[in-house]
Amino acid sequence: MALVTLQHVSVRVSRLLILDQVDFELAEGEVVGLAGPNGAGKTTLLHVIATLQPVSTGSGAVLGASLGTPGQRLIRPSIGLSGHDPGLYPELTLAENVRLFARLVHRPLTEADTVLAQVGLEGAAGRRADRCSNGMQRRTDLARLLMLRPKLLLLDEAHAGLDDDSEILVDELVRRVRSEGGGCVMVSHDATRLAARTDRIVTIRQGRV
Amino acid sequence: MRRLILPILAGVVAVIGLALAMATPPDAFQGDFARIFHVHVPASWIAFLAFFVTALGSVAWMLTRRAFWDRLAAASAEVGVLFTAAALLTGSLWGKPVWGRFWDWGDARLASTALMFFVYLGYLALRRATIDPVARARRASIIGMVAVIQVPLVYFSVNLWRSLHQTQTIRPDGASMGPEMLGAFLVNLLAFNLVYLALLTSRIRLGRAQEEAAASSVPAGSAITAPRLDPI
Amino acid sequence: MRRFWNHVMAIAGRDLRIEGRSGEVLSVVLPFAAVAVFVVPLATDPLTTDLSALAFPVYWLVSLLFGMQVALRQTGTESTMQRRQLALAGVDPLARFLGRVVAAATLIFSVTLFTLPLVILFYDPQPLPPLLPTTGTVLLFATGLSVLSTLAGDVTVGLRTRSALAPLIVAPLAVPLIIGASRSLESLSRGGGSLAWTGLLVMVDLALAMAAVFAARPMEEATI
Repeated sequence: MALVTLQHVSVRVSRLLILDQVDFELAEGEVVGLAGPNGAGKTTLLHVIATLQPVSTGSGAVLGASLGTPGQRLIRPSIGLSGHDPGLYPELTLAENVRLFARLVHRPLTEADTVLAQVGLEGAAGRRADRCSNGMQRRTDLARLLMLRPKLLLLDEAHAGLDDDSEILVDELVRRVRSEGGGCVMVSHDATRLAARTDRIVTIRQGRV
Repeated sequence: MRRLILPILAGVVAVIGLALAMATPPDAFQGDFARIFHVHVPASWIAFLAFFVTALGSVAWMLTRRAFWDRLAAASAEVGVLFTAAALLTGSLWGKPVWGRFWDWGDARLASTALMFFVYLGYLALRRATIDPVARARRASIIGMVAVIQVPLVYFSVNLWRSLHQTQTIRPDGASMGPEMLGAFLVNLLAFNLVYLALLTSRIRLGRAQEEAAASSVPAGSAITAPRLDPI
Repeated sequence: MRRFWNHVMAIAGRDLRIEGRSGEVLSVVLPFAAVAVFVVPLATDPLTTDLSALAFPVYWLVSLLFGMQVALRQTGTESTMQRRQLALAGVDPLARFLGRVVAAATLIFSVTLFTLPLVILFYDPQPLPPLLPTTGTVLLFATGLSVLSTLAGDVTVGLRTRSALAPLIVAPLAVPLIIGASRSLESLSRGGGSLAWTGLLVMVDLALAMAAVFAARPMEEATI
């Protein structure tokens, strides 16, 4: 069963045509790379797949839920999204950030501590997020995704600016998702990285695949 | 040519209404100053109508997501602000000779109408600040629906607070003005309705033309090309 | 249903914890409100002006302006990614909205309650209204203002003119709250009842709550 199918999807934002008649599919266990120049629409396509960006025309389904229907709310907790901004609350500690997320997705609070230890942030768990480096914040984001165990993993330049250990974490995350029958879409400007880590690459130029 | 029918009709009825207003005998207590009633009261009523239309357009957009309803809501708010300003101005001009001052804080309806004016200035400022048309429609429609809470408050404030303003002159059980004055008033009310419709339809047409002119079928990413660095 | 209220309390707890850490309301807005209460008599001649007559008008004006500041505070504003993560976590937009309203109402109520003894101290209003009904009036005011300000904050999120635009939207729409609250206190001070004005406050709060229920989901679409 396809995890994601998009048919003739166009997205218009502020009267600008960002995506133009895009078709896209993601199968179970597949890792697909999205490549293209700046402004091509890669992040917008990722957000369409995440059901966060409404489409102007076209149709599709993500994890069985049709785009633009109330059903897409039900499948959202099975989607993991990671980008440049980890989305942490600066005044809360790393542990509090992950525990808040655990509470929202109905995981035991102790899992938060477990995943922080798994990503090597056990010693910094009690530190406020605004007193941690961007790298540490992004590792916290990865911890959150480890806890979530998403069916669909969406990575927007997830490797950019990470140290080697954090890159290993990202790769491990992708491996786990794939092995559990999930899928991953990975955006990157680094063609070499994409070629090494994906089953196929979809190139977007000027909003078209 | 068909587009001119409504504005011309509005103009003709307005002229007739103005003539009738000038022809009615002066009021026993307020003299000729009472004639401003034929402008002030219709302007106030149309202001209320315009803001209800904004709210209805907002609800309709929420339910259907059709751009027409948002254009209707926006156009009606703009016209409503105009008529509210006219109501406040004529009310002040009427107040000075009759009450001895331009503004009376004891007049709850006047103060509430001024507030309605500010509410819709905020609505229009919000629309102007939001670039994306869908986001603008969504945000504005929420405020459009919430803001209509103000309109019944304005109308019923005359009954809620002690006020120098006269209580509603047109009541379900009959009006408290003479037949000549009532006739002139109703013609002016009709004129104001026609002017409102003429302005509304023009503004909606203009809004659609603006949106069509701004829409682009060229992909946004086509504006970015590969760099061409010249040797230093 | 239980999950919904669990999310409401999680979001409210988050906001109150963030406020506890940042102290934006406690150490900035509250002192600023106190300064405003103190400064007004200095704009007139405090020795000849009947300050007791100014007491409650100043109180409600300060409550409105600084109540808005509380609801629109920087540390209470979520980033785009934070909103997206909440949406992906399956948090109902209405739960997210209510959680923020609960936190804002708690903080606004605290600010307005704290400001009251300051007004009594500097303006000496006579006679004083009874404490319990006054607290109830302040609570209804804080609740309505919280809903309205949170809604205005949401419709202006991401706009560069937000710091001025959101108060411009809130202030005129908050007038029924001001009227209901001030008339209620006035009536209580004279030893009368305040049922009609309390009824107005309850009606406004309910109307705003209904608007919020209707608007929460569409608002999320515009901000993630």
